[in-house]
Amino acid sequence: MSVVSQVSPDGQKLTISVKGRFDFAKHQEFRESYESRDLAEVVIDLKEATYLDSSALGMLLLLRDHAGGDDSDIRVVNSSSDVRKILAISNFDKLFDIS
Amino acid sequence: MADIHLDPDVLSALRDVMEDEFSTLIDTFLADSEQRLRQLTVAGDATQLLEAAHSFKGSSSNMGAIRLAALCHDLEQRSKERNLSGIELLIADITREFALIRPLYEDERTRAGSAIATVRPY
Amino acid sequence: MIAVQAALEPLTILIAEDSAADRLLLSSIVRRQGHQVLTAANGAEAVEAFRQERPQLVLMDAMMPVMDGFEAARQIKALAGETLVPIIFLTSLSESEALARCLEVGGDDFLAKPYNQVILAAKIKAMDRLRRLQETVLQQRDQIARHHDYLLNEQRVAKAVFDKVAHSGCLNAPNIRYLQSPYALFNGDLLLAAFTPAGDMHVLLGDFTGHGLPAAVGAMPLAEVFYGMTAKGYGLAETLREMNAKLKRILPVDMFCCATLLSLSFQRQSVEVWNGGMPDGYLHSIASGERTPLKARHLPLGVLTPQTFDDRTEVFPMALGDRVFLLSDGVIDTCDVNDQLFGVERLQQVFAANRQPDALFEDIEQALRDFRGEARDDVSMVEISLLDPNLLSPPAPIYSDSGQSCPLDWSVSFEFRAATLKRFNPLPYLLQLLLEVHGLRTQSGALYSVLAELYSNALEHGVLGLNSSLKRDVAGFARYYQQRNARLEALEDGYVRVHLQVTPEGEGGCLVIRVEDSGKGFDVERVMARPVDPVRLSGRGVSLIRQLGRNAHWTDDGRSARVEFFWEALA
Repeated sequence: MSVVSQVSPDGQKLTISVKGRFDFAKHQEFRESYESRDLAEVVIDLKEATYLDSSALGMLLLLRDHAGGDDSDIRVVNSSSDVRKILAISNFDKLFDIS
Repeated sequence: MADIHLDPDVLSALRDVMEDEFSTLIDTFLADSEQRLRQLTVAGDATQLLEAAHSFKGSSSNMGAIRLAALCHDLEQRSKERNLSGIELLIADITREFALIRPLYEDERTRAGSAIATVRPY
Repeated sequence: MIAVQAALEPLTILIAEDSAADRLLLSSIVRRQGHQVLTAANGAEAVEAFRQERPQLVLMDAMMPVMDGFEAARQIKALAGETLVPIIFLTSLSESEALARCLEVGGDDFLAKPYNQVILAAKIKAMDRLRRLQETVLQQRDQIARHHDYLLNEQRVAKAVFDKVAHSGCLNAPNIRYLQSPYALFNGDLLLAAFTPAGDMHVLLGDFTGHGLPAAVGAMPLAEVFYGMTAKGYGLAETLREMNAKLKRILPVDMFCCATLLSLSFQRQSVEVWNGGMPDGYLHSIASGERTPLKARHLPLGVLTPQTFDDRTEVFPMALGDRVFLLSDGVIDTCDVNDQLFGVERLQQVFAANRQPDALFEDIEQALRDFRGEARDDVSMVEISLLDPNLLSPPAPIYSDSGQSCPLDWSVSFEFRAATLKRFNPLPYLLQLLLEVHGLRTQSGALYSVLAELYSNALEHGVLGLNSSLKRDVAGFARYYQQRNARLEALEDGYVRVHLQVTPEGEGGCLVIRVEDSGKGFDVERVMARPVDPVRLSGRGVSLIRQLGRNAHWTDDGRSARVEFFWEALA
């Protein structure tokens, strides 16, 4: 499975790991990994993500909207340099904590 | 060489499938077979023999004439191999076998009663 | 005996068999299984039967006179075309060669003699399943083809509507060069250009998420805002705020539009830039050969709420002949056979190797072709040059009223104080007001330029106390605009007053504009004495006002400016 989600023992942190190409094909899986939950802290782990396109950016926006919009707490971690570049050009570091 | 002249199970199945047309089937087969026999006796070359034997084999096996089908199979094989020396003996065998089973079919026919052909030809 | 019930719907089955007894037997068996039967005694009869009745399945004896089963099968398959008509060979042929021939001619299965009813029923069922599968596949294929045609037509219609909206632009102005696929819209690519009333040029290169109609549909409201506001004289910041708010409102959360927006001023010889999510644009200085990247400093349009949207722009000076080059990510994302990206580095190499600025597009296209091996059709590029404004002819604005009722004798005064100066650009409103006077309409360009110059002098040099000599080089330019934004943010006191007075004169009339500010003023005599210098980046405002208006003069130590416009009787 290319989108894996895990909740921390205290139930406060949801970690979603995306493997391979983060593109439109992952749309449904990604949404299903968070939509039935109440979200506090969310971490998106892109360690094994090879590529990110504009539909992935859209998916992140949907997640952010679901998690409270401006009040959301979402971190994007372990991005490769290619993925970082895409996030930088689109200035998504203004909306997400990216590392 | 099989010893069965007429397989009763096959006949029973035929009676079952054909129902009213069972008699017609027998009549058709008997008429067909006479024609095949004539073809066999006047056949000029191996190819003609082969085709006639093959055809006769097919219909006799469908009709349960096991021994007759086996004899036709032998004839077909030998024709294919062009092993025609003494072939008249095999043809005589076939003729005799048919003469033997013919009255058996007629008995079957009588028991089943007459029928009207209802096959729709093209 | 087992009675085989018909487990599927009745078929029409053709039986081609030369032995009359076998033919009769098989027909009975098949009819008992619930099907309609056609018979033929040889291959030729079989083909003719097929041609006339089109049965769904064929039981074919291999050895038949006149035409054998193989030839008949071949002909029937040919007649059937795309439709699958299963052919089951009736044979006691045992050699694999003969069996192979059956398959060669298109046979689908065999049935051996003596006929076994159970096996025959099973084979008929299996073949019928295949036959129906093929039928479904063909139906679906045809349905897909029909839908595809509908889609293509919808796109044609959408494009036609969009072209009507987009036609009001000035992409064909002599200083613009662009490359765009005719189906760019359906890749989400958008290119718009329009003149402001002052003769400045606004350009937008955009890239919507997604493809097809969803991307195209977002482009139309965006284009309307862009053209509408540009024509009224709104600046980039206000236009950006409106475009962002509109997209945020109408687009779903996961859709947005990356965009680079430019305002090129021929009179002030500068370009104002806002880039949200697009690849770097490049400002090419012809004199030095340097290319300054115009980086994306903002999120794309349609993501942030109006409250959080950042409309800050960057301003760069330009000399005559300098160019701004923008491109969509289709260039950078071009892949070769190994899925390697063309990338920014290769683009930089093309820049470095480019000898003829006019051949830049060709150089890039060639490099892409060499890299990929073929052309891509979703690459968008645009190059805007700073030309002598006299070479450009912005189209005359179109007015919708008839001209019978028009205000000829009136005056109005405004005082814009600190809080207003920070957030509001009064110029479009003032211009609209003045354009109610029909006699002034032919001079709308000059009017707007003069108003804009007077206002920005009053605001920047007067109220904010900025020193225009800062704008003598590129670094100074950037510092000037940073200071401007900082001081404006921090502004507590101050005002700009605008007085407009329209009076009839003879057959025509006169407009007097006075602009006052609360600043320290300047040494009017010294500035007037300076020769008009086309190369200097600063201080041209005063000469512009003197050139475009009449009887321009400054009083109150430079804090008050006055200029007049006249018009004759309308024809």
